[in-house]
Amino acid sequence: MVVLDFLREKGKGTMDSLSQAPRPLAGRGLSFARLGLLLALAGLFGCQPASPAAPTPAATVPPTPTASPAPTATVPPTETAAPASPTLIPEAAWPRTLVDDEGTTIELAEPPQRVISLSPANTEIVFALGAGDRLVGGTDFDDYPPEAAALPDVATFTGVLHEAVAGLEPDLVLAAGNNFTPADDIEYMRDFGITVLVVYAETVDEVLADIELIGHALGEDEAAAEMVSEMEGRIGAVEAATAAIGERPRVLYQIGSVPEIYAPADDSFLADMVGLAGGEPITTGSPTAFSISVEQLVAQDPEVIVLGDAAYGVCPAEVAARPGWSGMTAVRDGAIRPVSDIIVTRPGPRLAEGLAALALAIHPEADIEPPADLLALCAEGRAVR
Amino acid sequence: MSTRVAGRVDAARPTVALLPASRRPVALALTGLLALATALVLGVALGNVAVPVADTLALLAHRLLGWPVSVTWPASAETIIVELRLPRVLTAMAVGVALALAGATFQGLLRNPLADPYVLGTASGAALGAALAMLLPIQVALLGFGLMHLLAFGGALLAVAVVYRLSRLGELNSLTSVLLTGYAVGSLLAAGLAMTMYLSGSHLRQIFFYLLGSFSLSSWQQLLVGLPVILLGCLVILGRARSLNALLLGEETAAHLGLNVRRERLVLLGAATLITGAAVAMSGLIGFVGLVVPHLVRLVVGPNARLLLPLSALFGASFLAFADLVARMPGELPVGIVTAVIGAPFFLYLLRRYRAGYAL
Amino acid sequence: MSTALAAPVEPALELRDVRLAYGLREVLRGIDLCLAPGERVALLGENGAGKSSLLRCITGLAGNASGEVLIDGRTGRQHGREALARRVAVVPGQTDVAFPLRVEELVALGRIPHEHPLLGPREEDREAVAAAIRRVGVERLVGRDVRQLSLGERQLAVLAMSVAQGAGLLLLDEPTAHLDLRHQVAVMRLLRRLAEEDGVAVLAVMHDVALAAHFFPRIVLLHEGRLVADGAPAEVLTPERIRQVYGVDPSIVPLPLPARSPD
Repeated sequence: MVVLDFLREKGKGTMDSLSQAPRPLAGRGLSFARLGLLLALAGLFGCQPASPAAPTPAATVPPTPTASPAPTATVPPTETAAPASPTLIPEAAWPRTLVDDEGTTIELAEPPQRVISLSPANTEIVFALGAGDRLVGGTDFDDYPPEAAALPDVATFTGVLHEAVAGLEPDLVLAAGNNFTPADDIEYMRDFGITVLVVYAETVDEVLADIELIGHALGEDEAAAEMVSEMEGRIGAVEAATAAIGERPRVLYQIGSVPEIYAPADDSFLADMVGLAGGEPITTGSPTAFSISVEQLVAQDPEVIVLGDAAYGVCPAEVAARPGWSGMTAVRDGAIRPVSDIIVTRPGPRLAEGLAALALAIHPEADIEPPADLLALCAEGRAVR
Repeated sequence: MSTRVAGRVDAARPTVALLPASRRPVALALTGLLALATALVLGVALGNVAVPVADTLALLAHRLLGWPVSVTWPASAETIIVELRLPRVLTAMAVGVALALAGATFQGLLRNPLADPYVLGTASGAALGAALAMLLPIQVALLGFGLMHLLAFGGALLAVAVVYRLSRLGELNSLTSVLLTGYAVGSLLAAGLAMTMYLSGSHLRQIFFYLLGSFSLSSWQQLLVGLPVILLGCLVILGRARSLNALLLGEETAAHLGLNVRRERLVLLGAATLITGAAVAMSGLIGFVGLVVPHLVRLVVGPNARLLLPLSALFGASFLAFADLVARMPGELPVGIVTAVIGAPFFLYLLRRYRAGYAL
Repeated sequence: MSTALAAPVEPALELRDVRLAYGLREVLRGIDLCLAPGERVALLGENGAGKSSLLRCITGLAGNASGEVLIDGRTGRQHGREALARRVAVVPGQTDVAFPLRVEELVALGRIPHEHPLLGPREEDREAVAAAIRRVGVERLVGRDVRQLSLGERQLAVLAMSVAQGAGLLLLDEPTAHLDLRHQVAVMRLLRRLAEEDGVAVLAVMHDVALAAHFFPRIVLLHEGRLVADGAPAEVLTPERIRQVYGVDPSIVPLPLPARSPD
């Protein structure tokens, strides 16, 4: 569930990043091809179910717009408090020229009035900029703000519905990079003459920059600047509050637990979020691997376990009962705390709130204003989805 | 005329010497036991967290044998060894026994060297069951088994039951029709699986994980539930070595040798399916063990089920324990890949080396 | 003729009014037959006359047969499966092996009705295997894979297996089909020795009329599910019957040869 989304969100789909060796993309791009191959292998070796038909769903890398493209940082944010550097595109009147996160240059003759968002994060950003009335299409995973759910769905798990897109006659499509919106779909739309802006952030800073980029594309530059500065203030406050506590407990941010335990990869976006929230992240020991063995967990002995999959039914009692977990400090101390993964991982306007929620999960005593829209998770032992 | 006389005279005295010495089953058994012991020790000692060998041995002696050893290891080492690695190694061994025995049984029952534990649809049934379980909004937890395990187990049994009914295996008739029915039912279930996977959305990875097999989720609880089922099925099969021997020359000859073919076939098929289902529920779909191990053993000791079955069980256990060890060294690979990567080339090597005397 | 022989001892095999039908098609229409221990009988008849079906009735594999089949005076049900297998051995026309199997391992399969179900073969079983190999004279084949033997060698190995089975009644379904002359004669001589020296009753379905006439003292002729003649080759194989049963010109049928040959 969450896991798959998260994996897809790593790495950046540009040619530049492809050529940079340590980027996670190579490993990721492979991982799906590899899964398909493996399934085919399984078919060869006697498992009937893996007939040639089976790998198809894997090979096509379907988009899951459940959570939005959570950026994965390979560069730790150094100065979050500083104002995000303005986009490289100079402020200009219409027509405007923009360079998206994949380096594609697009032209906008006038402020777009019919906008399609292909990721829940983009949808949130457009609404937060006050341009929600200009959205004519979204994904079937849009859940925030509530009115977003009513948008016609033009992207589902299996891909972009091109006929629906064409029928809406958009003048701007906001896609998500790194194959969250399949690269083939982006190309297909561009071949049709549709203007597509691809957004993909790898760090908290880049999330802020993307908000400004979308604001610029919509002609809402001022609202974007205001939102960014508000978020920066909130992030700074969280950092200050956790720094005041002084302790940095070892934190396992559990991304998922079925079938294996999934934790942040080394230097990933989530690892940085945990760091910003005042914890010492336990990572998988590799920049590309997301699963972590229970052996490693036992050896690293987390002091706090944050349940990023609490919204999907995973709760502290179950975690504590897992074989081998009872000796961990976090389990003994009862420091297993649920968090709403959407705000923590979705690179949208609520990211600062997500950071606050994460910081409170790590340091419940910290002087941080609780996020406004905190979900009640694991109230009765088991969360409702 | 002279031969006749000689024959009579010789028949009167012990003539066992005429038969060549058996094909070294004792040596093979000792090798297997050694391999099993090595797999046990290495499987417990090695992992992706280093625990000193001295600590490992002292810990095992302390916990398993009750030796009064002073505790010099950290608590985490004890958790890792006793709660994580030991059940994992033992589960791998139990599953190895089950798959190897089931493979040998299906090969003998169907008189087909290419048969494996999954040949009659167990794999497809289990996979579909597991995949469906992920789509169902029901949570079940029963003694360490979730809905997925239960549906996988049920799916395996159900698939074979359907094949059995459809091919009317109950009567003496062509084994080809059984295999073809198994193939057809398997294909249908595979289509169901593909469809389920297509609809499964974000559960896809979970289904993949299951299809490739793994022991990373083993626990004492699961082992204690699964082991009795596997033991029961294995004992039933081991006790029917004579029936499998009689079936070597086909069902009609087996009947002429006094076998109740219909009953024996049902019992053997049921037991083999039961242990396959249990194995599949515990660890997902692990290929190649059930195909390769019986062939390997047959190569050395011949097709006599009295040797083939116990030795296959022994080598199935150590093979899978080693494969799991390899699988967890680089992180966590699906063990099904390891069994294939080790098993296939080894199998080819054996075929080439022995092709003079051993043709499939 | 048979009654004369069978009178003093209990018959090894007795069939009374055996009938068999597959659906509406009657395959056997009331067969009566009696074999004494040590007697050798060739079962002849055209294709589809019911010869193989008759064998299946004797071994109890034709489930819907009616009439009575007595082996050593008792029915198969009275014997029980295993006991029956110790009394009746069957040699099929062709034996296929799915796995590499050595000759001595094949012969040992004949001991299955004798060995302990759980503990396996005992010393006496191993001795019986060795004795059977010598009896049939296939010592030189020991250690070889059955699948790599010639058809003739393979048939001898299978005969050794049925000898190891220690049965008093031996049923054979075209035991010389596809064999070269040398192996045909070897098989025939072996059957004669088993009957004359060990007292085994032999009932063999034969296609080669000349070979049957040459080696079998008694011939039973089936035609369309009925027993049409039973007696010495010279009495049974008359030109009229040959024409009736096989529908061929009797002039091409060779005269029956004397029932013994120089050995």
